Amino acid sequence: MANCQETLNEMYAYLDAELATERATEIIGHLKVCTDCQSAYEFHAEFKSIIRLKAQKDELSEGFLDRLRECFGDDSLKDA
Amino acid sequence: MTPQEDFTHDAMQYAPQLFSTAMRMTRNRNNAEDLVQETFIKAWRSFATYQQGTNLRAWLFRIMTNTYINKYNAQQRKPTETELDDVEELFLYKRLGAVDQSQLSQSAEDQMLSMFTDDEVKNALEELPDQFRIPVLMSDVEGFSYKEIAEILEIPLGTVMSRLHRGRKSMQKMLYEYAKKRGLINEALLPQGDDE
Repeated sequence: MANCQETLNEMYAYLDAELATERATEIIGHLKVCTDCQSAYEFHAEFKSIIRLKAQKDELSEGFLDRLRECFGDDSLKDA
Repeated sequence: MTPQEDFTHDAMQYAPQLFSTAMRMTRNRNNAEDLVQETFIKAWRSFATYQQGTNLRAWLFRIMTNTYINKYNAQQRKPTETELDDVEELFLYKRLGAVDQSQLSQSAEDQMLSMFTDDEVKNALEELPDQFRIPVLMSDVEGFSYKEIAEILEIPLGTVMSRLHRGRKSMQKMLYEYAKKRGLINEALLPQGDDE
């Protein structure tokens, strides 16, 4: 099982799904028994999801998708 | 559908994601629209070299990132390790314990969601220097793997990880400053000597 320092160091790699299964299991093992690390983990999981949630919503202007469709298949398009 | 029609259909599906990322990159709607348009024109011209079944989404983001870097002279490859202040580990986590509970009625998990507005999160991202902002956008917003980000940016995996680490900490500090400015955080409640 991982200790507190290792868990905090590798918390983001775990959150980003970048840890090998075996290592991820060791981190999960520690999170299950350590409320301090568990709470830090939940905070950062929330932080990551908030960034995604709040920075992903940009309304498209009217007609933008139509203009984009014109990018395909028109050989006469020149560099802007 | 012909392969060309398939390609167009698939690429168009990613238009909203590409546009959001372009908005964070250029910070301007017209420039963001131009950037996505230029990306699609380049993608279409390179259609012959695109291998069906490979990662179209990463390929499009790579074209867009390169276009952005070239067009806006983004400082992608310059060594800029000193460009961001060093922020301590778990910066925001250590401080949000000081939020006055009476100001927030939600559960602890919802606190951060209600605390930061969409604009604040977008601003915090947009304030990051390019070489930190793009990896954070690619990972936290677009969900690309470290390997994909390394390929999109043509930088080593270790560099992706260190830029993500520093970029995220710096964003936390910026968001903390926004919250402080709005009076959501009472500094008197902070642990003594833990600031800076």
